[in-house]
Amino acid sequence: MAWAKRGHDPAFRELVRRYERPVFSLLYRMVRDRTLAEDLAQETFIKVLNAIGTYNPQYKFSSWIFKIANNAAIDHLRKREIDTLSLDGSPHARTPDEMSATALQLGDRGESPLQQVESRELGGAIERAIAQLRPEYRACILLRHVEGHSYEEIAEILDLPLGTVKTYIHRARNELRGYLQDRKE
Amino acid sequence: MTPTPDTQHLTPDEIELWAQGLLPAARDVHLAQCAECRQTAERERKLLRELAQLPRFAPEFGFVERVMAKVKIPTPSGGFKS
Repeated sequence: MAWAKRGHDPAFRELVRRYERPVFSLLYRMVRDRTLAEDLAQETFIKVLNAIGTYNPQYKFSSWIFKIANNAAIDHLRKREIDTLSLDGSPHARTPDEMSATALQLGDRGESPLQQVESRELGGAIERAIAQLRPEYRACILLRHVEGHSYEEIAEILDLPLGTVKTYIHRARNELRGYLQDRKE
Repeated sequence: MTPTPDTQHLTPDEIELWAQGLLPAARDVHLAQCAECRQTAERERKLLRELAQLPRFAPEFGFVERVMAKVKIPTPSGGFKS
């Protein structure tokens, strides 16, 4: 980290290599689009590396990078409002036809090779259940149970009170159990 | 004197502790006696296991180079090299 702060090129590369998978995975599961996730991951690393001189070592580096990545994802989701479009269709849909017309399609015929990859990677029951969570819950559950951050670190990453983080995670787990249970019944 | 049965259900935090094998023994007693908590805890453990097994994905090949091409690397003279 000290080398990276002094602008040492190999240290920058090492940081990108070390965090590219966790950061990309979080973003990919947040936005469910490979190309977009890669753009957001690039944006995250460029912001982090260009501001490395301002990094405060009092905080974990991973918390800082995940904070920037999560903000990028949430900003994008808010702008595009794709968070309102679940796998079962828009929450504003009132009839089965409207739900079907607005539902995200996975595994359809005629999808591009990239879409096929996305269907394969994100098409499992647990991934589809995660996709149905609201973005704030999704970020919490991924940071806690996929990346292994503590509740305190998640509160720091998401700029949320600790109690809110706990509530979000408990609600998210309840919802996930519900989705997975419904699927079996 | 007969001990009072522990009727307080496990909290979500306690269920997570149990799934990690960290629940205090005193609360384990309740779990052994309460079918409702056992069912919730088993479902929770299964979910946590599934989440922990989720794979990490990699960006497309050449990601590091694409990032480095856009980063301003400071030089000792105080400028930047691209």
